[in-house]
Amino acid sequence: MTAKLENLSSAAAQKASEALSKLTGRPAHVEVVRAEIRPVTELVPAIGPEEVVVGVCLPVTGDATGASLLVFPKESALVLADLLAGREPGTTTALSGLDESALKEVGNILTGAYLAVLADASGVWLVEHVPNLTCDMFGAIASQIVAGLAQEDAEALIVEVEFAFQEPVLKSHLILFFGAEDARMIFPAMALA
Amino acid sequence: MNRAEVHMGHVRVSGNGETLTASGVGSCLVITLYDPVHRIGGLAHAMLPPASRPSGRNGHDTKYTDAAIDDMLKRLSARGADTRRLEAKLVGGANMFPDLKSDIGEANVASAKEKLASENIRLAAESVGGAIGQSVEFCSVSGIVTVKKKF
Repeated sequence: MTAKLENLSSAAAQKASEALSKLTGRPAHVEVVRAEIRPVTELVPAIGPEEVVVGVCLPVTGDATGASLLVFPKESALVLADLLAGREPGTTTALSGLDESALKEVGNILTGAYLAVLADASGVWLVEHVPNLTCDMFGAIASQIVAGLAQEDAEALIVEVEFAFQEPVLKSHLILFFGAEDARMIFPAMALA
Repeated sequence: MNRAEVHMGHVRVSGNGETLTASGVGSCLVITLYDPVHRIGGLAHAMLPPASRPSGRNGHDTKYTDAAIDDMLKRLSARGADTRRLEAKLVGGANMFPDLKSDIGEANVASAKEKLASENIRLAAESVGGAIGQSVEFCSVSGIVTVKKKF
């Protein structure tokens, strides 16, 4: 992780921690374990293509076009849904409509926090849209977003971030997809990649 | 038996008993072609319909369904396949986020069917559309396509 990306990620994590604490009514600590900028062709190997995940996708528009995808292993999503609803972790075995709404809100919070610091740092206007949730194989979910961007640019790039929620620790990936030209405008650290 | 994963935008043709795979297929479209006499086949993991190809872009880019089929036909012919006997199977073309109203998957399926028809290739089977991801295994010796779903 470059120093610039680390600073941006720390700022996003702090914003997300505050917002998640408010949402859950308990202390929540978001930590960016890793932040990388990669070509999308290297994305799927980072998470197994057949791994069943819960994905929250938010289209991004503004001065750039892209999308964010918050990905939880299915088991982590169930535990997080319990925490958000004030249930004992491990209670839920299938997500209800209310659980899905809560997870979408987490997607809103994390995406919003990261986009806000990227927008501040780059001066690029970014708008997140209504979240969409699905549960399936990671490869099937991510490839649709990649295909959507590939219509405009064959060399889209991503930022991958791991978030840890403490007590219990829940890992997830937040992936921001932008076309190559938009990414160069948004991520000043790209020049170092 | 050897296995080879065919990633997005790629094509692979095999006549030596390889099993060709494509894992976690959503809106992408897997197209298999098989010659039952020569017992050779190919698998394409296409991403986009030809209509989304920007003007001036390389027409041979195998991420597009039409170019992927053309590429497989060329490679299969070079290995001695009789293109008049080929049979095709299609898997994928889903919309993983129905609320986003993406038509990429649907357009992939339609464009591939159109291309196959124009090449007089028989469509033997399909598992397309919906909102569920699929993984594909294609036995290049038998032509059998196995589809796995998580739900």
